[in-house]
Amino acid sequence: MFRLLYAFLVGIIGAGIVHIAIIFLLPANASNDAWSRIAAIAEPYQPVLLENVEPSVLPASQRNPFLRAVACRFDLEDGPLRVSAREAVPFWSMSLYDRSGLNVFSISDRAAPGNVPDLLVLTSKQLSELRTEMPETFDQSLFVETDVTQGMIVLRVLVPDESYVRQVGRALGAISCKPI
Amino acid sequence: MKTVLATLLALIIAIGGGAASVWFLLEEAPAADGLNIGPWIAYPSLGTRDADPYSRARFVRRGGVPMGQAEGIVFTARTDSNQQTLVSGCTYRLDGPMPVARFWTLHAVDNSGRPLPEFEGRPAALQAMQVQREADNSFTITASSQAHPGNWLAITRPGPYQLLLTLLDTPISTGAAVEEIRLPTITRVSCDV
Repeated sequence: MFRLLYAFLVGIIGAGIVHIAIIFLLPANASNDAWSRIAAIAEPYQPVLLENVEPSVLPASQRNPFLRAVACRFDLEDGPLRVSAREAVPFWSMSLYDRSGLNVFSISDRAAPGNVPDLLVLTSKQLSELRTEMPETFDQSLFVETDVTQGMIVLRVLVPDESYVRQVGRALGAISCKPI
Repeated sequence: MKTVLATLLALIIAIGGGAASVWFLLEEAPAADGLNIGPWIAYPSLGTRDADPYSRARFVRRGGVPMGQAEGIVFTARTDSNQQTLVSGCTYRLDGPMPVARFWTLHAVDNSGRPLPEFEGRPAALQAMQVQREADNSFTITASSQAHPGNWLAITRPGPYQLLLTLLDTPISTGAAVEEIRLPTITRVSCDV
């Protein structure tokens, strides 16, 4: 009887250890983070429209009938990343995700000088190098300084109603995501 | 023999209990990092580096690219303001106020998060510019399976559903005082018998 109680107690304590171990090991062993999912379907710097993708890339609960999104992987070792569109959109916002799919930075067009999405993602070292001789082509760009080297950006654009469908579609179709 | 049985029992409890408690906390229990306002709930730290280990584990299992805090915030309502599950057989009235935001959208989804199908070209979704407002800028939205005058959110699929309120570029997600946030109330008006 005493032995049974002892085994029971050891079991409960063991359950606690197993519980904590699973919780902390789960993120490290996951392969279904957004970065890996996008990596499976697209090359780096290849913009991916997040509407016809599998629910494993973008769960249904994160879809919004009024928002369209485009994702693009990058590696800042190739140089600063420039994400730009040629056309203005009613509202846009951007999030930066690290290699494990965690959101590390986000910004909305309120911070940008114009309605045309135009971003430059770079490390602090690249920023200081660029500062010494700032090319004029970037005077409308929004600078995003980050400690992430391999990562992904997601640009979300608002489509308030049908009259914007074509304009936003053109803007997203021509989005450019390239190292400079 | 007794020692073997006791060891086996301890192992079964440890592994089974540990796994079961993780599953329960991730799948069944309400998340601790939720921001609750009336019937609405949001998870501002989901998928960020600030998230607690449980939120992190939950995010790993679901994946996706949740909105960043400067982009906006998504509130979900599974119930009306009286904690009764939202069902398509009932008509609900949503009364303002809407918090400060550049833009908001409201859409209905089924329990797995998929948007409800359109009703004769009319999606189960509304946005800030579509709603008709009263003289004092307030508005009322009716969520129902039957057509209603004014701001009608068409609910097309039978059964329970959820409402998703997305606020774009809002001070709420960047840490405004929680006590000051006011979201629309959801009142059950009537039900089909």
